[in-house]
Amino acid sequence: MTIGTLPIIEMMKQRMQWLTQRQQVLAQNVSNADTPGYAARDLKALDFGAMVKRSGPVLAPVATQAAHIGSPAMGPGVGLRPGQATGGQIVKKPDFETTPSGNSVVLEEQMIKVAETQMDYQAVTGLYSKSLGLIRIALGRS
Amino acid sequence: MSAMDLIKSMMVAASGLKAQSGRMRIIAENIANADSASRVPGGDPYQRQVPTFQQKLDREIGTHVVSLGRPVFDKSEFKLKYMPGHPGADENGYVKMPNVNGMVEAMDMREAQRSYEANLNLIQASRRMISQTIEILRK
Repeated sequence: MTIGTLPIIEMMKQRMQWLTQRQQVLAQNVSNADTPGYAARDLKALDFGAMVKRSGPVLAPVATQAAHIGSPAMGPGVGLRPGQATGGQIVKKPDFETTPSGNSVVLEEQMIKVAETQMDYQAVTGLYSKSLGLIRIALGRS
Repeated sequence: MSAMDLIKSMMVAASGLKAQSGRMRIIAENIANADSASRVPGGDPYQRQVPTFQQKLDREIGTHVVSLGRPVFDKSEFKLKYMPGHPGADENGYVKMPNVNGMVEAMDMREAQRSYEANLNLIQASRRMISQTIEILRK
């Protein structure tokens, strides 16, 4: 068990990947803010519930004898496999308004989204170093 | 890997910067030629250029970037100015002047400026995100 396979670290990794990808999509939107016919895009929101479920019960009971009663939660740990963290899905997301040229990028809205992404990213990196700090305390090397 | 993605978004924003500065160049051409009338009688003066943008797939970074397309001519009519002594005057004494409107150019310039700032903002945000990632190592 390495630190990288801890569910919380894995989830944070996925979140960071999602945020970087969103940043890329937003950059694309802003640079195309004057391209006729360009529709603003965004990433599908990361579903926290699904993430928790996927990294769910790592300690599941296992039937070792035929007499054991089965349960749907059984089987090997259903945690995320390394490298499984996938990025988001790009969806066309109409903004507030569309110009006569068919461009639907609103710079103000994009700027808010960029700031949002940046703040979330900062939160995740802060959380990451805090988690590492916890492990360090557990190791007695604070 | 993730830092690479952020560098990619910086490259996309940089393509926006380049496109907007190209737009500024075209606006400058228009303003500079606002009085460039023809020297032959009845000839056409400078015709205003309109910058065009198009999105294009950059195969190297795998995303759509923006590029400045070939500028197209503004099809609006030329202004007529009564100047009988001008070499470009027709038989009635009118000279065709370029279809450049200072107000329109000023507005366009301000818009280019704002878009440029938006792209700069994005580069700064991406840079901050990269340095926050590197910051993890220092703790």
